[in-house]
Amino acid sequence: MADLWKLIGIAIVIVGLALRLRTTLVVVTAALVTGLVAGLPLFSSEGFFQQFSYLARPGQEGIINMLGRAFADNRLMTLFIITLPAIGLAERYGLQEQSAAVIRRIAAATVGRLQIVYQLFRVLTGILGIRLNGHPSFVRPLIFPMSVGAAEATFGAASAEEVPEEIVENIKAANAASENYGNFYGQNLSPVQPGILLVFGVLNGLGYAASVWSLVVYAIPIASISVILAGIQFWLLDRRYRRKAEAR
Amino acid sequence: MISSIAGAIFSLEFVYVLTGIVLWLFAAMTFRDRANKRRRGSASFWVILGAIFIFGSVLPHWLTGVLVLVMAGIDGSGGVSRGHYHESTKAEQAQHAKRLRNKIFIPVLLIPIVTFGFAIAFRLLKLDVNRGALVGLGLGGVIAMIACLWITREKSRVLINEGRRLNEAMGAVNILPQLLASLGIIFTAAKVGDLIASGIHKIIPADSLFLLVMANCLGMALFTIVMGNSFAAFPVIATGVLSPLIIQPFGVRPEMVAIITLTAGSSGTLMTPMAANFNIVPAALLNMRDQYGVIRFQLPFALTIWSLHVILMWLMIKLF
Repeated sequence: MADLWKLIGIAIVIVGLALRLRTTLVVVTAALVTGLVAGLPLFSSEGFFQQFSYLARPGQEGIINMLGRAFADNRLMTLFIITLPAIGLAERYGLQEQSAAVIRRIAAATVGRLQIVYQLFRVLTGILGIRLNGHPSFVRPLIFPMSVGAAEATFGAASAEEVPEEIVENIKAANAASENYGNFYGQNLSPVQPGILLVFGVLNGLGYAASVWSLVVYAIPIASISVILAGIQFWLLDRRYRRKAEAR
Repeated sequence: MISSIAGAIFSLEFVYVLTGIVLWLFAAMTFRDRANKRRRGSASFWVILGAIFIFGSVLPHWLTGVLVLVMAGIDGSGGVSRGHYHESTKAEQAQHAKRLRNKIFIPVLLIPIVTFGFAIAFRLLKLDVNRGALVGLGLGGVIAMIACLWITREKSRVLINEGRRLNEAMGAVNILPQLLASLGIIFTAAKVGDLIASGIHKIIPADSLFLLVMANCLGMALFTIVMGNSFAAFPVIATGVLSPLIIQPFGVRPEMVAIITLTAGSSGTLMTPMAANFNIVPAALLNMRDQYGVIRFQLPFALTIWSLHVILMWLMIKLF
């Protein structure tokens, strides 16, 4: 029963997000409270902290130490900041206008079809064993302005401002989704990808003689389903945009 | 000598230091931005993040942890705010587009090309491909900056200011993925996952294959929703549910059900704000009005494909 108190971190996150409190503070609070409830010390017992028995206990990593270690180890997640100056300056010099102009010239380009093509591209990078976060490198600088350009053609708009705002918001969501769909389900199609290696490692640890190649083979059905399902969603999106454009 | 210099430049550490310097430049401009009502708080926030980027590998973990608490404190008290960035008008942008035409694509194409190039080069050199892609993303960002300055003939001050505009449009959301990763580590240390697995043990009758498959996929998705990461959830569910309740009693091929369990977790990733780097940061990166807009869009897809996971796993166990 006392164990159930460990779930308080989950409760803090749910309540905090529901009340729209600052997410950073909510997450840090949840981390500290969960750790303390589970009986972990605040600091590792080393150097200066050894003298305080209520702060540190020998042999246990402290909560604050874990926080710092994980934060530093995961700097790679925030590496995209270094791409922002180039994207920002290119935007200042007409990146979005020019992308839209290029896409308007391709008659077959629609928002939905663009997302399907991009998702397939991401599945392909997965098969090639290349792991990348496409949101900063592809979606923000390229796929989004191209999609807006395609929507301009559908809506017969002369510029991005004439495309209804709710459509632009919907396009942004579709852009991020096609990246996630392609990334999540496509990456298991290569034996060098971390998902496959993780499953392989865990199965071996449990005493099963697993093979990475048969893991890849068993990943094919879901990967195919994900492409078909997303294709349907993006096809419906195109149809909805067409109807909206006709109604205008 | 040359190889050790090359080794230093093509390392993740070098790219982290570069990113930290960019953050410090943002912070310096923000500190002098009188239009930002909380310019001191905002500048300190970005200075600290920059410092963790530059010195993160040498700082003692407890000190980094304290700095993270300070950052959360600054943001929690509303200290991270936006300023004024001398934005260009749409008319100016259209005029530039007419003049530069497709040349403006060169810098933004360089980012994915360099990322890719490094990934492939690392693969050929039998190094870690993922590391190659990250080093490529970092160096690609720098190469793109140089190309962009060269094409636009703009001052480097404007370049950094434009980066600052995009960075502060996202604000403290930037560090959420790193914070959530830390939360995941602490959840694991507190054995939150074991608790969830034992809960499923108690509820589900051990003889109904379909219910077990459903509980397995549900546990995986729920735990991923909580942790924001299917990779953190998988070992817990595989050890606590999949292996003892499905693989062993029913004599199922482990590879077949294991990989489907993992992607059942991916369906959870599509639904959760805890997977900030996939769902919340992109919404901020695209300046979406609704922070949860990406999740809302993905929800019908995620629920459908999750159900298909249950059916597929059950069918495959029955048929093979």
